[in-house]
Amino acid sequence: MAVVEIKDLHKRFGSVNAVKGLSFEVEAGRVTGFLGPNGAGKSTTLRALLGLVRPSAGTATFGGRRYEELDRPSAHVGAVLEDAAFHPGRTARNHLRVLAATGEHPAGRVDEVLSIVGIADAADRRVKGYSMGMRQRLAIAAALLGDPQVLILDEPTNGLDPPGISWMRDLLRHQAASGRAVLVSSHLLAEVAQSVDDVVVISNGELRGRGTLDQVLGGDDGPATEVKVQDPERLASALEGRGHHVERTADGLLVLGATPEQVGGIAAEEQVVVLGLAPRARSLEAAFFALTGDGR
Amino acid sequence: MSALLRAELLKLRTTRTFVTLVAAALVLSLLVVVLTTLLTDDLSEDDLRSLFTADFSSLFILLLGVMGMAGEWRHRTITSTVLAAPNRLALLATKTLSYAVAGAVLSLVVTVAIMAVGTLIQSAGGETTIGIADLADVLWRNLAVAALLGAFGVCIGGLVRNQVAAMIGLLVFAFALEPAIMGVAPDVGRFGPTSGAPNGVLAVESFGGEDFLAPGIALLVMAAWVGVAFAAAAALLQRRDLV
Repeated sequence: MAVVEIKDLHKRFGSVNAVKGLSFEVEAGRVTGFLGPNGAGKSTTLRALLGLVRPSAGTATFGGRRYEELDRPSAHVGAVLEDAAFHPGRTARNHLRVLAATGEHPAGRVDEVLSIVGIADAADRRVKGYSMGMRQRLAIAAALLGDPQVLILDEPTNGLDPPGISWMRDLLRHQAASGRAVLVSSHLLAEVAQSVDDVVVISNGELRGRGTLDQVLGGDDGPATEVKVQDPERLASALEGRGHHVERTADGLLVLGATPEQVGGIAAEEQVVVLGLAPRARSLEAAFFALTGDGR
Repeated sequence: MSALLRAELLKLRTTRTFVTLVAAALVLSLLVVVLTTLLTDDLSEDDLRSLFTADFSSLFILLLGVMGMAGEWRHRTITSTVLAAPNRLALLATKTLSYAVAGAVLSLVVTVAIMAVGTLIQSAGGETTIGIADLADVLWRNLAVAALLGAFGVCIGGLVRNQVAAMIGLLVFAFALEPAIMGVAPDVGRFGPTSGAPNGVLAVESFGGEDFLAPGIALLVMAAWVGVAFAAAAALLQRRDLV
């Protein structure tokens, strides 16, 4: 059942069209990765969903209601935004006490979430002395205060060390396993690939793909072949003439959607001397870059 | 609303800035009263009234109000604040009210302290003191001014997001611009939000021979300033995208 619904969402900042007709849903009990390169419109979309920016058109709702229409919203939705910020002179415990009072959550919940995120020992230290990773954990503690059924996390692994990233993955999986809907954005596919069930890929404010990780990025485009030849341009023209997508690499050509047998056959027809031929399964990252048009 | 108010008052109490400024207001106000009562002979009842009126709580709560709201932008905590309380109008109203309450409490502490110390020193020296009724009269005026200036400070902080610019601008306005206007055009200056109208509420007798507004009118003028600043800050906050 969809607990988050984005429908034909548009957001324009002056002359910049940040989000262009985006639509997708997030299901309960699943981790949905919201992926795209920097500047793709991920944060704007999440902020529109959370009522922090006003959509130019379209809707972003939780069970049909906008965030600001929810009764005690932090009891329904927990959010960790990219620029999680705290008053530097306030302790972590006091920061959470303030949020607990605002959201009308039990005061005892503060100690519980401090323990969940593993910073209970540092709870009475001022936040200005916190590392980036500790701040991120505090932000997650704040999101969990109301024991919400929906978690929204914008680039939550930023600033985390490898053990922190691993902890974050476990946390996301655990939250989804307990029936919560988790929407997590990232521009680094590798950091979320192990923990997501579904992905929504956007680029330049537009939807580029959605579905399970396999459906969207899992090699539906078929195999890929790396080939090294004496006359790469001649072979590339021949391959492109037969409808294959060819990328020029430092070592030769990368032919997408073709097997080594197919590429070898075409090379033989064209009488091009082959120096090397090998299959290459497209990595998730390569598929992601191809989908988002991020030409790195 | 009550949960929001509790949270805002908790916010106030959980930073060192608040404690420091409250202590500074208390110490400075006591210092002025102690030195004046010890070093000046033959203080009249009017002198004592003026002395007890001149506490520092109004100035400090004005600055605290600015810091409390503009600080949300400076520390980028406005996002988590709005996430927890997405009704922005209620949020601003509560913050405004909380600083009004804080201003009244701060002024109560400072005014009672300076009245007690000043009266003790005067009594010990066999000098003039003022009665309970006059003390109570000074007290409510101080409380009202501090409450309204605390609220005004929040609204200014909502209008000028840069905390430093807001504070410096307000200090320049309060200590240079408004007195200058009072000197050049007293009919305009006595309606000023940080000096003219507050002095009317405090029943300060005159400024360069020009009278301030009557206390009741001055109170309404201060409330009107808060209302206008609140409306402008609320309009800005309502339509602002938090990116």
